[in-house]
Amino acid sequence: MSGVIEGGWEYVVAAYAVTAVVLGAYATSVFLRLRSEKARGNTEASS
Amino acid sequence: MRASSARPIALVALGAALLLIGSWWGLAKAPGEVFMGDVQRIMYVHVPTAWNAMLALTFAFVCAVCFLFTNAWKWDNRLEAAMEMGVVLSLLLCMQGSIWAKPTWGVWWDWDPRLTTTAVMVFAFGGILALRAFVDDPVKRAVWSSVACIVAFVDVPIVYFSVKWWNSLHQAQSTPQTVSSAFHWPLRINAFGILFLWIGLVGLRAQVAAHRRRGEMAPPLPEKRPATSRAQVTGGAA
Repeated sequence: MSGVIEGGWEYVVAAYAVTAVVLGAYATSVFLRLRSEKARGNTEASS
Repeated sequence: MRASSARPIALVALGAALLLIGSWWGLAKAPGEVFMGDVQRIMYVHVPTAWNAMLALTFAFVCAVCFLFTNAWKWDNRLEAAMEMGVVLSLLLCMQGSIWAKPTWGVWWDWDPRLTTTAVMVFAFGGILALRAFVDDPVKRAVWSSVACIVAFVDVPIVYFSVKWWNSLHQAQSTPQTVSSAFHWPLRINAFGILFLWIGLVGLRAQVAAHRRRGEMAPPLPEKRPATSRAQVTGGAA
């Protein structure tokens, strides 16, 4: 036993994929919420 | 004055671009580590996420203190945004750490001091965000969550120093002295990428909070009346 980890690319890919999904989903949710709040503000201002 | 979205969007775009470059460098260009091999490449996203999670929560703490001293709503907007960003980054940190722990420690999770204090951090700040959602009065909500944020922030330095204070399965903090120079660039590029990303997102999320509070505090709209002439409205002065 050498004590060296062989392979493990599946874990690397999983970690980067989780990072992309979480940050992408959060960024999308912020943009959507901002758009919705701006649209609501415009509706209230015009009524 | 209403804030513009252009600058935060530019920061988000710059952060995303840096993150892509840093990740490519870490995955394709940087060498594997002597003992962990390719699995160590998780470090290029895990360590910058850890730094930035703690930085976002530190910013939330600063916003809480500033709100209590100034009563300016902009600090409450930023507090809400920074806490949410900090919780998202901390949750991401736990997921990345868990994925890294399996091939290196043999388990997905261990109740080791670093992991336990990080879990406490996630639940404490997540709890404050939940508390905010249940308080209708904007003034009470801002004051309570500022005080709660200051109390919860006590855990952030504990998370940072936990690996020094107690025997931990988790390795000590990564610094330029503890990391090979071949790993520096992807680590730094990703750290700045996530930094710009969260600063931009906090800027946009603070605008969401400001819009919502304006809606909550706006006086109710008057009922519609029959149309009147300009002369009547202005008292016939025209």
